[in-house]
Amino acid sequence: MIDLIHVTRRFGAATAVDDISLSVAQGELCVLVGTSGCGKSTTLRMINRLIEHSEGEIHIDGQQIRRFREETLRRRMGYAIQSTGLFPHWTVARNIGLVPRLLKWPATRIQARVEELMALLGLSMEAFAGKYPHQLSGGQAQRVGVARALAADPDILLMDEPFGALDPITRESLQDELRELQARLHKTIVFVTHDMDEALRLADHLVVMHQGRIVQQGRPLELLREPADDFVESLLGGEDRGLKEAALLPVSQRMLPLGPRLLARERIGQRASLREALSLMLWRHAERLTVVDDDDLPVGELSLRRLVGARSDD
Amino acid sequence: MTEWRRWAAPLGWLALLLAATLGMGQLEGLFRWIESDSRQVIYERADFLTLLGRHLLVVSVAAVLAILMGVGAAIAATRRWGRDFLPLVSQLASIGQTFPPVAVLALAVPVLGFGTLPIIVALLLYGLLPIVRNTLAGLEGIDPGVMEAARGMGMSGGQILRQVELPLAAPVILAGIRTSVTINIATAAIGATVGASNLGDPIISGIVNGNTAYVVQGALLIGLLAISVDSLFSRLPIATRG
Amino acid sequence: MRPDMPGPNVVLLTLSLVALAAWLGLDTVSLAANRIVPGTGYRVFDVIGVGGALATSLPWLALAGLAWRPARHRLALALTLVVLMLSALPAWLSLSAVTLVDSAQARLGIGAGIWVVLFLQLLAMIELRRRLDLSRLIGWALVLPAVASAGLCLARWLEPLALWQEYRGRSGQFLSAVGEHLLLVGVAVGTSLALGVCLALAMRRWPGVQRAGFGLLNVLQTIPSIALFGLLLAPLAWLSANVDWLAALGVSGIGRAPALLALVGYSLLPMVRNTFVALEAVDAGVIDAARGMGMSRGQVLRQVRLPLAMPVILEGIRITTVQAIGLTAVAALIGAGGLGTFIFQGLGQAAMDLVLLGALPILLLALLVDALLGALTDILRPGGAE
Repeated sequence: MIDLIHVTRRFGAATAVDDISLSVAQGELCVLVGTSGCGKSTTLRMINRLIEHSEGEIHIDGQQIRRFREETLRRRMGYAIQSTGLFPHWTVARNIGLVPRLLKWPATRIQARVEELMALLGLSMEAFAGKYPHQLSGGQAQRVGVARALAADPDILLMDEPFGALDPITRESLQDELRELQARLHKTIVFVTHDMDEALRLADHLVVMHQGRIVQQGRPLELLREPADDFVESLLGGEDRGLKEAALLPVSQRMLPLGPRLLARERIGQRASLREALSLMLWRHAERLTVVDDDDLPVGELSLRRLVGARSDD
Repeated sequence: MTEWRRWAAPLGWLALLLAATLGMGQLEGLFRWIESDSRQVIYERADFLTLLGRHLLVVSVAAVLAILMGVGAAIAATRRWGRDFLPLVSQLASIGQTFPPVAVLALAVPVLGFGTLPIIVALLLYGLLPIVRNTLAGLEGIDPGVMEAARGMGMSGGQILRQVELPLAAPVILAGIRTSVTINIATAAIGATVGASNLGDPIISGIVNGNTAYVVQGALLIGLLAISVDSLFSRLPIATRG
Repeated sequence: MRPDMPGPNVVLLTLSLVALAAWLGLDTVSLAANRIVPGTGYRVFDVIGVGGALATSLPWLALAGLAWRPARHRLALALTLVVLMLSALPAWLSLSAVTLVDSAQARLGIGAGIWVVLFLQLLAMIELRRRLDLSRLIGWALVLPAVASAGLCLARWLEPLALWQEYRGRSGQFLSAVGEHLLLVGVAVGTSLALGVCLALAMRRWPGVQRAGFGLLNVLQTIPSIALFGLLLAPLAWLSANVDWLAALGVSGIGRAPALLALVGYSLLPMVRNTFVALEAVDAGVIDAARGMGMSRGQVLRQVRLPLAMPVILEGIRITTVQAIGLTAVAALIGAGGLGTFIFQGLGQAAMDLVLLGALPILLLALLVDALLGALTDILRPGGAE
């Protein structure tokens, strides 16, 4: 879907992005993570040509991006940024309808699309359509930003630290929403962040960048288990790695079928993470948990030994 | 930047101003070319150095008074006991800004009569406004966190004012003083129409008598004076800090 | 102190006491036997005796009393009182005219006391309007009773008022001077707006233009207006003498042409500076988003940058216009016409009321334009956004 082939970007003598190659598959959520100034935002902005690349090739659906007009290319991709970039002089509804209007959709279709998107992002039409950006909370503004990025139903969504300025609770709930949204819409998303927890929560494909280069890429678990070097390891949080890994694995992966023993008193959902299971055990001084399904029916059990035990699966 | 180079530009302008003031007579040939019809081409009712001195005197007396009163008023209005006056003072400063200098000057004459006094008063009144406005903006614009920290460390009101507020607000205050003085150098020239004798004299006299050479001489000196002073202000260490 | 009883309103208290002192201590009117001789001042008790003077000080004391315990309804009462007192000033002048004036040549001048009291009353009105949270429009409406009262008094009793006499002597001339003044200001501001926006756009495109442009305009701004007006006389005189079509257009050394040139020159700096700053100050994130969404350069400029910059650009127009109103007065020196003519004629003839006839309308014009454009800026600020 998106292919970067030996892409380099120089600003004068400085090299911001140094010969990186990267493929993002259709429907994949690719997270670029790294410290400030590592070139992750530059990489993102080269994809929609807000910054032109100096060398190499960038392809969208197999076609070089330089073959499109800049505006045409950008209208095909959603774009959401940390500062939201909402137009302060336009209402929420008008902001969301921006790209459809640029694409000259008929007014009724724009109206319908705006309503659809506001419903999708949990913004009630009556309460928010006529508001101006400065009347919104940070989380609401960011939702509007995402809705605006999705407005023309682009296949590709570029997100540059969209949740960076939010408080932890709002950030987590928006991360969850993004995952759900992605499960439903199957967009191809490139997401930039400096927050490793956020990256691990969201990524299908995780790309760690340092000083303009990609130091490691792969599935989050792969990186956690086999960090390529000390830098990746420290970025992944050193001592916390066990917990971070546990946070990525669902209880269902380690549970055993129900045995002959009595059901343990403490229960946990099968979709919960192993990290949550461990926390529950510590808190309740329980060595065994009963695993329940969405209807709260017991489906298995999880013991402490099993939880910390050898990796037999995944 | 070395100290010398820092002051090179304002000193250069000042030197040019002095040279023009003292050596205007030498340029007679040039002025004769500009104004070939007139018998006399160098303004001679008073010598330029005296005119320059009077001009500077009027402007600086007004400026010193305006700084004392303006900064004082703004400080008073931002203290706890003077807070009640703050909205009125700041509104007054912004409304007063719309008063054209000529109108202020013209209104001062009926009350104070002709001569140097009405000019000083008019310049003082008019020069107050940018100073008050900028001092207020400077004092009000200080990061509340800094003020909170200063209070939290146990600094007294006076210490906060002298060691925190005024130094932090200094660049903005200075910008106000600069605006005030620059405007007043120009406005003082109009004072020549109400009987004060300064660098505006040759200009008015030139306009009235149709003698362009006089106009050029006055305009040249006032322009140089304004540029020198402006350039001096821009080189003050406070103005460029931060 | 009970929480519903706020402490004294120090501002209003101070204003009313200072105003009372000015009212009793300064000359309220002056009487001159004819146009040129200086008048004799009359204080309040010279006109209506000590008892009367004490009676007129009662409203001030009432105002101070209301300020002492400023609950909301008392402040409303105080505002009513101030409006009434403001309207009473013309009545006072009328009373003085009827009492003092005994000959047809005699002229009644407005004394320092009246000016000071008027000024303090307006300040009190501003303070009260703010305390009572009244809108700007109501603030202006509050002046109307005083205007009506002044109109009535001028028509009935204020025949001998010197300012009025000066006006009636040249009412036609006055109106055309106002017209000329507005025309000069309008043309100068319009031209500098068009030029300024183009220049600001060019400066954003080419940094070289920016440095040179601001350098030049800054130097121009430091040259005193009177000098610039004077300096333009000679070249334009030469041009009109040597270039036929310019002379045919009415360009000459004195008059409107040099005045307009200088006015445009002065107006350019605030106009360009504000436009430039306004365009630059638009949030980079917004522009980034706009381009990232696929807006073309033109669309970004027209739909995002310009509308967002509009309040600051309007602010520039406001500053420029107010400044031009004042500068146009100076332009009268080189024969450009306008209200400045009266000021300089008056100064020349030592006829102070003629000076007032020029200066007061200039002041009013400046205030009016300032208020109108300020209101326009508020209206155009979209959604109340910063």
